[in-house]
Amino acid sequence: MEEPPLREEEEEGDEAGPEGALGKSPFQLTAEDVYDISYVMGRELMALGSDPRVTQLQFKIVRVLEMLETLVNEGNLTVEELRMERDNLRTEVEGLRREGSAAGGEVNLGPDKMVVDLTDPNRPRFTLQELRDVLQERNKLKSQLLVAQEELQCYKSGLIPPREGPGGRREKDTLVARANNARSNKEEKTIIRKLRDRGGFVHLGDKSKPPDFRTTDAGCGRSSSRR
Amino acid sequence: MRSSLPPLGPPVSRDRVITSFPKWYTPAACLQLREHFHGQVSAACQRGNTGTVGLKLSKVVVVGDLYVGKTSLIHRFCKNVFNRDYKATIGVDFEIERFEVAGIPFSLQIWDTAGQEKFKCIASAYYRGAQVIITAFDLTDVQTLAHTRQWLEDALRENEPGACFLFLVGTKKDLLSGAAEQVEAEAVRLANEMQAEYWSVSAKTGENVKAFFSRVAALTFERAVLQDLEQRSNAWLQVGDGDLIRMESRLPDTQDNTRPSSLGCC
Ligand SMILES: Nc1nc2c(ncn2[C@@H]2O[C@H](COP(=O)(O)OP(=O)(O)OP(=O)(O)O)[C@@H](O)[C@H]2O)c(=O)[nH]1
Ligand SMILES: [Mg+2]
Repeated sequence: MEEPPLREEEEEGDEAGPEGALGKSPFQLTAEDVYDISYVMGRELMALGSDPRVTQLQFKIVRVLEMLETLVNEGNLTVEELRMERDNLRTEVEGLRREGSAAGGEVNLGPDKMVVDLTDPNRPRFTLQELRDVLQERNKLKSQLLVAQEELQCYKSGLIPPREGPGGRREKDTLVARANNARSNKEEKTIIRKLRDRGGFVHLGDKSKPPDFRTTDAGCGRSSSRR
Repeated sequence: MRSSLPPLGPPVSRDRVITSFPKWYTPAACLQLREHFHGQVSAACQRGNTGTVGLKLSKVVVVGDLYVGKTSLIHRFCKNVFNRDYKATIGVDFEIERFEVAGIPFSLQIWDTAGQEKFKCIASAYYRGAQVIITAFDLTDVQTLAHTRQWLEDALRENEPGACFLFLVGTKKDLLSGAAEQVEAEAVRLANEMQAEYWSVSAKTGENVKAFFSRVAALTFERAVLQDLEQRSNAWLQVGDGDLIRMESRLPDTQDNTRPSSLGCC
């Protein structure tokens, strides 16, 4: 990817050339690749001459390629849809945060400073893992959104006086943070602290193991790595 | 009543307040026949002695074939909406619903999993650590009932035996006509075999939806309080002496027709 793109006629647009598409993982296939594949196959079919059996076969191959194209497009759409939902949630969370911190007179240093450049055309293509990750992040954002909504509701109904935001309740935070130190992860702690602060959500977890906040940071990450 | 608890979050809406124990759908397939809170539980609630239960989030997982109406059921309950168009769930989604049970705040996180085969490997990663497994089927499609066994098996595999309450839920009740009894009889039979409680609901009309989730919340809450009490009494006794005393500290028959009976947690 770092190399400058080759400028030879046949290789244009893709480092590996049209043939490269055949070597790709099916989960990373794009519509572009399907076109490359049809180009390669078309060329080879042409070389076979005009035997009617070849023509017969050609129809079927074209049909199969069309099917492949549809499937690939659908797969990418699904991820695209999730991305959009995630982005919407993110915007919503940020909006609420701003509103919430204005009401509470506190600057909320959100833990979600992940950088994903969604406009980057070279961003990785759809894989199962990516779908998993997108989902996980969407879920995390959704929890945060719910928490932020509740927080806002509390401020608005005067349940939490503006001065007594999360900052005024450090003791409990420490407790929770300590309980969670087995998985000392700043981000998780912050979420739990917030959840906890509004009597929100600590996962009803195992009594024999350290508290498990799997569902509050809304991930399947740990359990999926079980495989 | 809530003396020992700080005000927790905004008050829950009135129809999420559960004061008396919600009833089963049919006594022919129910997890417990008792129609009031367990004595120890109401006592603990009155004293505000429910430990951390009010801060916890219990996990509910909803599984079942595609198109049976899992999402519709959850959305009817949590958002009071119904959409007649089908939009497949991608992987998983969830909603959080806050209750007040016997004066104590209590929350359910309801996981809506995709029924489509291609998402199964993603959705199944979310089965773990459930307090409740809801297996849904379409009352108008017996195939989906036949598949519930497999769904349940997959979900149970990720959880400790006896740790989850199981529900078998027939959906789209509004579409049922004459042959209703037959399907329901079969479902009740299967529910008993699974040791699950049977319900039939309609997301479209809302029939039984609230009653069902209230039942889920109350049973889960009660078990959480009992587990919390047991855990704390064990911890207390461990400070003192050994096993003999701890054995005596076991809760007097917490079962009371309740199954599954293990108090071990997920
Ligand atoms: N008449 C009627 N239709 C329903 C009811 N519940 C769901 N449906 C319809 O059934 C279809 C499927 O519903 P969903 O809730 O999306 O099904 P699902 O189980 O979530 O499907 P997946 O997400 O693919 O697993 C939709 O078109 C709903 O409108 C009901 O109670 N009555
Ligand atoms: Mg769905």
